[in-house]
Amino acid sequence: MMTLPIGDFVATHDWVWPVCETLHFFAMCTIIGTVGTVDLRVLGFLKGIPIQMLEKFIPLGVIAFVVNVTTGFIFIAGNPVGGPMEYLTNLSLQLKMLLVVIAGVNLLLFYVTGIHRTLETVPADGDASGRAKVVAAVSLFAWIMVIVMGRFIMYNDTLLYALGL
Amino acid sequence: MMDAIENSAYAIWVRESPSIFAYTSILSLHAIGLAIIVGINYLVALRLLGFVPGIPLPALRKLFPWMYLGFTINLFSGASLLAANLTNDLGNWLFICKLVFILFAMINLELTKIHVFDRPGTVGADGLPKNAKAFAWAAFILWGLAMVAGRFTAYPNFVEAWLGF
Repeated sequence: MMTLPIGDFVATHDWVWPVCETLHFFAMCTIIGTVGTVDLRVLGFLKGIPIQMLEKFIPLGVIAFVVNVTTGFIFIAGNPVGGPMEYLTNLSLQLKMLLVVIAGVNLLLFYVTGIHRTLETVPADGDASGRAKVVAAVSLFAWIMVIVMGRFIMYNDTLLYALGL
Repeated sequence: MMDAIENSAYAIWVRESPSIFAYTSILSLHAIGLAIIVGINYLVALRLLGFVPGIPLPALRKLFPWMYLGFTINLFSGASLLAANLTNDLGNWLFICKLVFILFAMINLELTKIHVFDRPGTVGADGLPKNAKAFAWAAFILWGLAMVAGRFTAYPNFVEAWLGF
């Protein structure tokens, strides 16, 4: 079984795991509260809130994402029981990572294709473009499923059972 | 009475069914509801602390139904998880702390709605009622404590050792 030096640190300091879990939850809330709220507004809910103003919270969501990549890395690399491979071979975790990549590529396309510029002129109670709504729907779906798959990691057998694996 | 709840058909299904809709999905719903209510309340609190003043308060008020949606999801998912594990949960003082913090956080949310949005008192130079910042800090602290207590509900032995119980 492969374990890394960080695994020894986690194993000998019992506070690391629960503290990182708590941070992981805080940042999860921050991502949904910032990115999720922008998604809702772009989809046409919450009219009256200017999209451009809500977008100012996105950097906070990015900081929260960095917190969760860091704490997530500690969970995988520092797993004191089964080592990193226990997680890396877990289907729920693999699906969660796939969803994070989908959310990331979606965000990249949002900026690269210029869809974000179509939002600059949307009035406070106006509608976003259809393309922007597609990006928002994909983002909201991906982040919610990231949470679901994150919870399934510890109960991976339930997923395997449902899939007949 | 506790036994009757814990051994009810529903509680047994939540706890023991291998179905993908049982324990793990209810746990996932609980994380989603948490992200919705805390994430959005944190966003509202940041606005009340003076960040992104370009968001008009009447428009911000539209976020309240979404917070209630998050709370409703967690009321039902939480009641289901509690029924499945009633004796253990009620015997865990960190779980009781979590419930108390959630109660105070919800009271704070209602007071914010009344005194900042629906019947604001004296408005300061920044366009915010003068007690808005106090409600915002209370939201950060109370939800923060609820999440810490909630996460550490899984580690009562650690906490008791750290506190020297």
